[in-house]
Amino acid sequence: MCECKTREVASPLLPHIATVNKIIQENENIRSYQVTFDEPGILENFGNLPGNCGMLSILGVGEGMISITSSPTRKGMLEFSIAKVGRLTTAISELNEGDKIAIRGPYGNNFPFEMMKGKNLLIIAGGIGLAPVRSLIDYALDNRDDYGRVDIFYGARTYDLLTFKYDIFDRWPKIKDTHVHITLDAPDPKWDGRIGFITQDWVEESCSAENTIPVTCGPPVMINIMLKLFKKMGFKDEDIITTLEMNMRCGVGKCGRCNIGDRYICVDGPVFNLAQIQKLPPEY
Amino acid sequence: MADKTIKKDQVKTMLNKIAQSNQLIAPIQVDGITLFKPVQSGEGVVLDYQNALVPPKDYFFPQSEKMFSYDITDPSWAIKLAEGVPNRVLFGARPCDVKSILLLDKVFDAEFRDDFYLDKRNKTTVVAISCNECRHTCFCGAFGISPGEAEGADVLLTDLGDKYLVEALTDKGVSLLANFSDLLTDDDGSGKAAKEKAVAPAKDKQMKIDMEGVKAKLDNMFDHPMWATESMRCIGCGTCTFVCPTCHCFDIVDFNNQSSVGYRYRCADSCQFANFTRAAGGHQPRPSKKERTRQRFMHKLRYFVDRYGDFGCVGCGRCLEKCPVNLDIAQIINKVKEVG
Repeated sequence: MCECKTREVASPLLPHIATVNKIIQENENIRSYQVTFDEPGILENFGNLPGNCGMLSILGVGEGMISITSSPTRKGMLEFSIAKVGRLTTAISELNEGDKIAIRGPYGNNFPFEMMKGKNLLIIAGGIGLAPVRSLIDYALDNRDDYGRVDIFYGARTYDLLTFKYDIFDRWPKIKDTHVHITLDAPDPKWDGRIGFITQDWVEESCSAENTIPVTCGPPVMINIMLKLFKKMGFKDEDIITTLEMNMRCGVGKCGRCNIGDRYICVDGPVFNLAQIQKLPPEY
Repeated sequence: MADKTIKKDQVKTMLNKIAQSNQLIAPIQVDGITLFKPVQSGEGVVLDYQNALVPPKDYFFPQSEKMFSYDITDPSWAIKLAEGVPNRVLFGARPCDVKSILLLDKVFDAEFRDDFYLDKRNKTTVVAISCNECRHTCFCGAFGISPGEAEGADVLLTDLGDKYLVEALTDKGVSLLANFSDLLTDDDGSGKAAKEKAVAPAKDKQMKIDMEGVKAKLDNMFDHPMWATESMRCIGCGTCTFVCPTCHCFDIVDFNNQSSVGYRYRCADSCQFANFTRAAGGHQPRPSKKERTRQRFMHKLRYFVDRYGDFGCVGCGRCLEKCPVNLDIAQIINKVKEVG
């Protein structure tokens, strides 16, 4: 990759070049991208764990931190699900299969999948928030016997905004002891299922705090409500898992913009438990 | 190595010699302003300056720096890493600025070691110079820095009137001095005592700021009303972060100039700018001057301590001297101690 030999080590800020092999249109605004690195050996040694992120870039446009939505148990590719929001993600939304993308990483910490072994998982996601926890869900389901019952509560504003429809409708519900509960914020002509927000009563129809680890990911307002819901259900602060998000540039704890107190979300996060979050200044 | 001395009229010869085999970076006067610049010889180098307008940080962590170039029409998207720097001697850095390099090391020479920084750091020999005088804005003593010591430098010079005391602090320093040993004389044993006397005014006259208890107090001051009051006069110009020797925040930008060939560079950024933390989609954790002012002082005096075990300030006084509205870190420290 690098032609210049004057340096001792490769900078962590240099990306690897990758090719987009497959694009899945999740909905009007979100596409999933399956990519492989061009240089042999990089993917095999990438070492991503569930919850890690990658710094994606289009040369000439810029870089952005995106969660890796595929589980490391899914070999042969990395997958990212990206909503078209700003300048970079608009450029990514214009990519075709076969186009290049630059990637560095993996960055950040991971979901505590070891600590979760032998436990039930209660996963509550909203909108694109399913993307980061999907790496954990698939990791648990690909190691099915290591984990107990898996309940996935997923909410979106409209039917079209539901992502990973092939997972939530076709794949996950067919796996042993795995239950997917879907709700939409408002009535939708394409939907004859549940309408309304995710409530404690509804969650408690299927789950309790007994031997269970709860995880939530979604828009900040929803995370706040779910953290309170988990507390009311009787979960311990140390067991309540969520992710925090800040604008990031370097991904390696140096550029200084993603700090909450003395923690950098890019290296110390994005995964935190509620006990850790309560120690941070409320600036997120 | 035993301490040496060099006669003042030999310094130019020494610098000429250094410049023969290294890129020499030294303080010179540019339009009446003292700045660290690459120079070809000892001509014009000033050593009786008090402190440079901006710190020599630029030679380790440049204001802007190319990382690699690319050609987007190249089907393989091959990227070409920017070249490293030649061997350098940074000459005449003040003890506060030298300490700031050790603080930057904590950031860049940590997990995910930053090669762009380390390439320059490893190839640079630092020659510091003690302070005989101080500016009215100096308060290095608050952070345990002495005008007559320079941990982190390779060689330390001290102005003793007609000569400089020359102390080699590291092996790198010993190697540098070996290049012009003919210009050096063994110190007669009076050097250290003379140095103490020479730097005494800088020690005694500087602002006395006591940091005792400040960090512990700040641990519980995130919601304190003083951040709203203090930030009111801030105009968000970012000068404080621009002149700071320990500020290390940066942005990463691709530049194409309407051509297929471009480069990715990084450049200093500032926590005082709203765009610093604004994310695509509108998420903005620091929406007003209050949050941004608090972030700057909390970062220097609390978060940096928590993360790296040292204050992120060296008391150089540049930010409080240059701030157009007198938002003064020394005053902030004193206020933190006073408020309830």
